[in-house]
Amino acid sequence: MDSARITKIIRDNALYQCLECGKCSAACPRMLAGKQYSPRLLAQKLISERDDEAFIESSVWECLTCSLCQERCPSGVDISRVILEMRSLLAAEKGLKGYRAHDGALHSWMRMMTSPELKQNRLGWVSADLKTAETGKVAFFSGCAPYFDVFFAHLGVDTLAIARDSVRLLNFLDIEPVLLKNERCCGHDLLWAGDRENFETLCRLNYEEFKKAGIEEIIVSCPECYSMLGTHMPEVIPECDIKVTLLLDLLQKEVRKGGKAFKPFETTVTYQDPCRLGRVSGCYEAPRYLLGQIPGLVLREMENSGRGAICCGNSGFINCDAYSKNIQVQRLQEVSATGAQLLVTACPKCMIHLSCAMRDPARNEKVSVPIRDLTSLLAQGIEWTG
Amino acid sequence: MKRPNLLGICCNWSPWTCLNAAGRTNLELPPDLRIIRVMCIGRINQALILKAFEYGADGVILLECRDEDCRYGPGPEVGHANVTLVRSLLDLLGIDQQRLVERSFEAHEKDRMVTELWNFAERIEAMGANPAKPRQEREAV
Repeated sequence: MDSARITKIIRDNALYQCLECGKCSAACPRMLAGKQYSPRLLAQKLISERDDEAFIESSVWECLTCSLCQERCPSGVDISRVILEMRSLLAAEKGLKGYRAHDGALHSWMRMMTSPELKQNRLGWVSADLKTAETGKVAFFSGCAPYFDVFFAHLGVDTLAIARDSVRLLNFLDIEPVLLKNERCCGHDLLWAGDRENFETLCRLNYEEFKKAGIEEIIVSCPECYSMLGTHMPEVIPECDIKVTLLLDLLQKEVRKGGKAFKPFETTVTYQDPCRLGRVSGCYEAPRYLLGQIPGLVLREMENSGRGAICCGNSGFINCDAYSKNIQVQRLQEVSATGAQLLVTACPKCMIHLSCAMRDPARNEKVSVPIRDLTSLLAQGIEWTG
Repeated sequence: MKRPNLLGICCNWSPWTCLNAAGRTNLELPPDLRIIRVMCIGRINQALILKAFEYGADGVILLECRDEDCRYGPGPEVGHANVTLVRSLLDLLGIDQQRLVERSFEAHEKDRMVTELWNFAERIEAMGANPAKPRQEREAV
């Protein structure tokens, strides 16, 4: 392993500040689900025992990258970033490792999107009631929704409903977004699986598409796309001047201005904070504010919520295993402990992974609960007042 | 034009018997076709088919038994489901769905198999190269 680069990764991400308190390991959902997994030990090995390559490799690839350890770290070590950079380093030196869920089918199609000649056929979901524009300055980025909709249809997860409801909400706000025929995947899963090269290609191709269409602002509903386009794309393309807006932030701002309200919806819900929305992008308040605007809706928080929310079990479609399943079941038990009739989340992946865990025939009755995306919940009831 | 890259995934039972018989009787097969022998087409999942395209295949043909002849049970049905799903994904990616073909055979149908393989090869060659040829993944050593 490139020792000089590891030292740089350690310095850049404050890993020398590690006090060896072990809070990261104690908080790690993988550890709590029963796996021998310790971010603290990884830090120690990276700092002083680099010859234990086998340990370092397995620890680096097995992390779920949910960032809970980072949240708990009293020294401000950016552990997720260490994992991210170590994955790129290891992938470049030793090839891509880490068990890719669904045998890597998702990473395959994401990599296929790096071909510049690609002419996708991805807008079949746009229904007649949606108002979209051919040209304009504001685009809506639908991400992998059309692909997930096909691939995860057997779970009964309708990811395209999120895209349609996002456009409906934008239409309600008098925005007719441009939908790009050839936008690529945001590259989240490739980047987190260590494939930086293809991630950067996707970024460049997306940027070219945006520029060609004259786009100045991109609205996204997916927290992963938000983090990739908003934070990581400018790192790859320094001249990037495209504004990236999270749909929930935009809605919060608009609802606060007044004149808009939601139809009453008598129900008790609980909210799953997606890691990429909460801990990665710092967005905890907007979803709660918006849920609070729905008359009759009662939000009951789970035992671990907000900054301490537990992961949905997987983030980049790598390393889904029995421990991921344990994490999901624990999470679903927290959901049922709240007595909520509906589980609301804001990330398609939370929806996919938690729906998958609910299918377990042995636990089905105990952990099964209707699950909906916040965007759809808001789109069903928003209306003008006064 | 560069020769097309064709992949055949062949079940060990009826289709492989056909292929073997075709070889013994010196029937000519398309030169650009590479064949992988698997125990059952039910072993092939969506990811493996997608991977063939990711790695630069211009066309993929699944050679399987008839539904009622599967030596294990549901093999060909799994094949049909996978083909339907992967075709939808190929369509989203703008790759012609006809690049993924599924054909079933009984063990005595060597001549039909040879004809089907030539038809497949000619059709893909006429379509030209697959538009979505990405950079290759670096595999773990």
